[in-house]
Amino acid sequence: MSSAETTKPQSFFEKNHLLLRRLHSLTGIVPIGVFLIAHLVTNSSILWGKVGMRQAGHDMTMVQGGVTYFQKEVQWINEQVPHLLLIEIILWTALAYHSILGFYYARTGRTNVTSYAYQSNWRYTLQRISGYIGILFIIYHIGTLRWGWTFLVPGGATWSHEFAASTLALALRGGEDFTAAGVAVSLFYLICVSLLVFHFANGLWTAAITWGLTISQSAQKRWGYVCAGLGAGLMLAAWSAVVGFATLSPAQARDFEKKYHEKYGGPAAVEKLGKPATGPSMNPSTSAVRESVPVQGQ
Amino acid sequence: MSSTTPTAPSVAPKPGTRTIRIRVKRCEGPGKPERWEEFTLQVSAGDGTNVIAALQRIAAKPVTVEGKNTIPVAWDSGCLEEVCGACTMVVNGKVRQSCSALMDTIAPNEGDVVTLEPMSKFPVIRDLVVDRSRVFHNLKRVKAWVPVDGTYDLGAGPKESPETQETRYVLSTCMSCGCCLEACPQFTKQENPETWDSAFLGAHAISQARLFNMHGTGKQLEKERLEALAGPGGVDDCGNAQNCVKVCPKRIPLTESIGAMGRAVTIHAVKKLFTLR
Repeated sequence: MSSAETTKPQSFFEKNHLLLRRLHSLTGIVPIGVFLIAHLVTNSSILWGKVGMRQAGHDMTMVQGGVTYFQKEVQWINEQVPHLLLIEIILWTALAYHSILGFYYARTGRTNVTSYAYQSNWRYTLQRISGYIGILFIIYHIGTLRWGWTFLVPGGATWSHEFAASTLALALRGGEDFTAAGVAVSLFYLICVSLLVFHFANGLWTAAITWGLTISQSAQKRWGYVCAGLGAGLMLAAWSAVVGFATLSPAQARDFEKKYHEKYGGPAAVEKLGKPATGPSMNPSTSAVRESVPVQGQ
Repeated sequence: MSSTTPTAPSVAPKPGTRTIRIRVKRCEGPGKPERWEEFTLQVSAGDGTNVIAALQRIAAKPVTVEGKNTIPVAWDSGCLEEVCGACTMVVNGKVRQSCSALMDTIAPNEGDVVTLEPMSKFPVIRDLVVDRSRVFHNLKRVKAWVPVDGTYDLGAGPKESPETQETRYVLSTCMSCGCCLEACPQFTKQENPETWDSAFLGAHAISQARLFNMHGTGKQLEKERLEALAGPGGVDDCGNAQNCVKVCPKRIPLTESIGAMGRAVTIHAVKKLFTLR
């Protein structure tokens, strides 16, 4: 009870309390939040890709435009983004830090929404729940699509960055057509990305108080509108992505991807597609499409 | 108006009266088991019965609804006008001062139930009486005072601007009642006083640190207060549930104090980082 500062030696965590806390806050925004924005905007292109292609997609359907644009985006990330490995290491470090400390910090509180059912208190509770579920989802998401945990994918599809949209649709639907497990996976994605978008938007709002950027209640309210707006936009992107991929026919998408690779890709990609046993028959109008798609970036 | 209450057989219900039930969480002392007891009470509209008056009437005749004689309920109270904080308890699931909890508001209808519990974040001494020492301990952690020892004449203090005065006035109305702490999900019960120094301070202490940092003479301890707020259990441990500001009976803008102290800690930390020591 007496002044303990002089008597008790402080642990590493106690000595660097503020630094660790503020790093936790910062990592949620940079790099994790920034990555989330880029990731969701990219993935939502499965729906609005045709618009994104401008004149290049003039003779494509919305679905073909989405598949083509998304494929182009994925290849750009894989082949042209500089220091991709460094970016991944930084992201992983930040994510590990944010989730481990976040878990520890969340355990210091005890939610009481049953007694005090205020909106802000619900957000406090949801912030913690979305953190717990969110990190499990992220591990599932990367485990299944990057590390080949196919035993967790109904239908056992593996994601390929050369056939990005079609393999993702396979993983979400549980096969060429929706299976019961596929519906469950798609719903799981929808719920989890919604929770993560909430986590980011609400975290951005609380971070402004933590750092002392918003002090007055009106300032907190104004910043709240900004965060809600950003959250709504990201939510729209997130839902577009999940709905876009879940409703996509893998067979049709494969067809579009094949056309894309025939036009822009090296022969390796087409070779990989090669096995026509699983794929649908070639679209007879391939040559017409080939001529109508101008080379990107020229 | 048919009276079926077993405890008030002699008094026929007067017109305009109603029978309400008071449920009290009882505990005979630290470490003793808790139990619920229920009492009935006749009140009439406009008679001004508050929780304290109800407890006094129960104490005068401590018989439960089952007709069992019991020990009068122990409670704490002081000013009876919502400025001392002594009678703070959990009324119908929410923390507040029981002196300003009028039956006409909280139990306006026949048969309404009022539940009374002690605050859950502090050790119970008996029934509704809790030990709020930690509230004051946390004020000490942030040195929530003006450093004058009164051994010699310091002369006139520094002038205070009307703007500062306006901000500080509402902060100074804090009565350390504990409502903000009871409602806070980050302020958890600490059974062992040894953990008090590293557990979350609470909104009241953060707000008082702001009050005294804005005081002309109180400012002398600014750095020490900010160090405490930057340390374990300080302002960064706030989870921004913002229940504190909603339950504060004095309507102190506690969340603004948290934002203001967050900013002060940020600036203090950056200054410290770029200052040779």
